[in-house]
Amino acid sequence: MQLKFRVPIFDVKNLEFKVRGQDILSNISFEIYHGEYIAIIGPNGGGKTTLIRLLLGLETPTSGEIKIFGKKLKNFKEWSKIGYVPQRASLVDANFPATVEDIVKMGRVAKRGFFAGISKEDKEKVIDAMQKMDILHLKDKMVGTLSGGQRQRVMIARALASSPEILILDEPNTGVDVKSQQRFYTLLRKLNKEENITILFITHDIGVIADDIGRLFTINRKATICNDPKKILSCEEMSELYGIEAHLIHNHKHEH
Amino acid sequence: MLEMFEYEFMQRAFIAGLFIATLASISGTFVVLRRYSLISETLAHSALVGVAVGLVAGYNPLWVAVVVSLLGAWLIEYLRSAFSLYSDAVLSILLSGSLALAVIIVSLGGAFNNSLFSYLFGSILSVSDEDVRAIIIFGSFSLIFLLLFSKELYFIAYDEEVAQTSGIKVKFLNFLLVSVVAVIIALSIRVVGSLLIGALMVIPTVASLQYRMGFRNTMLLSLFFALLSVVAGMSLSYYFSLPSGATIVLCVIALFVISLMANKK
Repeated sequence: MQLKFRVPIFDVKNLEFKVRGQDILSNISFEIYHGEYIAIIGPNGGGKTTLIRLLLGLETPTSGEIKIFGKKLKNFKEWSKIGYVPQRASLVDANFPATVEDIVKMGRVAKRGFFAGISKEDKEKVIDAMQKMDILHLKDKMVGTLSGGQRQRVMIARALASSPEILILDEPNTGVDVKSQQRFYTLLRKLNKEENITILFITHDIGVIADDIGRLFTINRKATICNDPKKILSCEEMSELYGIEAHLIHNHKHEH
Repeated sequence: MLEMFEYEFMQRAFIAGLFIATLASISGTFVVLRRYSLISETLAHSALVGVAVGLVAGYNPLWVAVVVSLLGAWLIEYLRSAFSLYSDAVLSILLSGSLALAVIIVSLGGAFNNSLFSYLFGSILSVSDEDVRAIIIFGSFSLIFLLLFSKELYFIAYDEEVAQTSGIKVKFLNFLLVSVVAVIIALSIRVVGSLLIGALMVIPTVASLQYRMGFRNTMLLSLFFALLSVVAGMSLSYYFSLPSGATIVLCVIALFVISLMANKK
């Protein structure tokens, strides 16, 4: 219950986003607290990616307010607290001149001040992030030569290198085989439990994640937030959303 | 072999040439990775407007070229963002527009002569002490910027949005990068010529990309290719009385072809 008195990582109120007068998202309000493990699902074109882009300041809302760690988005400066892995992340241009280590090091770039070189701490964080994602043995390999699953772990290691408090992933499994997907969710859950990193991700793999998620946001122009485990089980909007009977199991008692 | 260095003009040309090779290849790495190669061609033509104004009005064409090339770069960025036009279309419009303007200015001013020709294709004979000074002063600032922000620029080239969400000042650095590229191009036209400088900026990087190495090594190899082409091009140009810019460009293209063959799958 103590979570209630803490500042949420994201505090979203009455968010609305229109493009040429057309509603893309409307009336979206939610809070995301430290340590949460949240999945976002919804049909294509329903506004999932737009929502994430709004949270990251890549799009400007038509109305409403987004606060990050208690600060208005435009005044928020500590972006290294937020790790973002976009949808196309695992589909890197094969010719881009980058080793695995080059990419993971990018995670430290924004952290260092002007004129500062790579510090000992930077090096340690880069190695640590590669270890956590089990890619240290690939560090000198060219990213273009890796498999989809390996690339995906490189992208997450890059986000982890800045020691974020929250990881935001947009369909992280695009271009990744099923076996790697399972392994990936195990890793994600481990980061959440052991490293206490808040996780917010868009996915289509409802079945795969169902056992684990803390909360589920369904986005289809509007947001439906399933906070209560019992509600997730019978979340009517789920079937409305996809036109199918959806079964989601909720294992974790969520304090909120 | 080294008799060419007995001439002061060759010494000047080599200092200017090696400095420009360094600047063009390092800035070129970021330009190529961002798929923005055509900007070098367009800015080279904007610089030509400056040369035309300089020739007609009697100022040092190189200094005016730096100013006009900068204005050109800022105009491109403004048009791209304010009117959401396609980048390549904006570049194409400004390229022909600048060239047309340069030709009109020069012909109205009656300065259509050899000196314009030397700015189009480069001429090592015409590099003056003042040119070398301009290249060293502006070039040093540009080089410091590129080296200081190379990691940020690399991140932006890799993924602009992720860089932005990491807290990197993407817009500001992009603005500085195109400004620096504008300056480098204006400085280069003395040695390589405005019609040929694009090659020195783009081809060394494209050649070094063929070896599929990490960022640092790709950039170093690109620098090596650029320096080698300038040394080889200028030497050949001296001994066989060939035009310097064109010889340098053919040398860098030769290196590109060798790289392509050597890495054929």
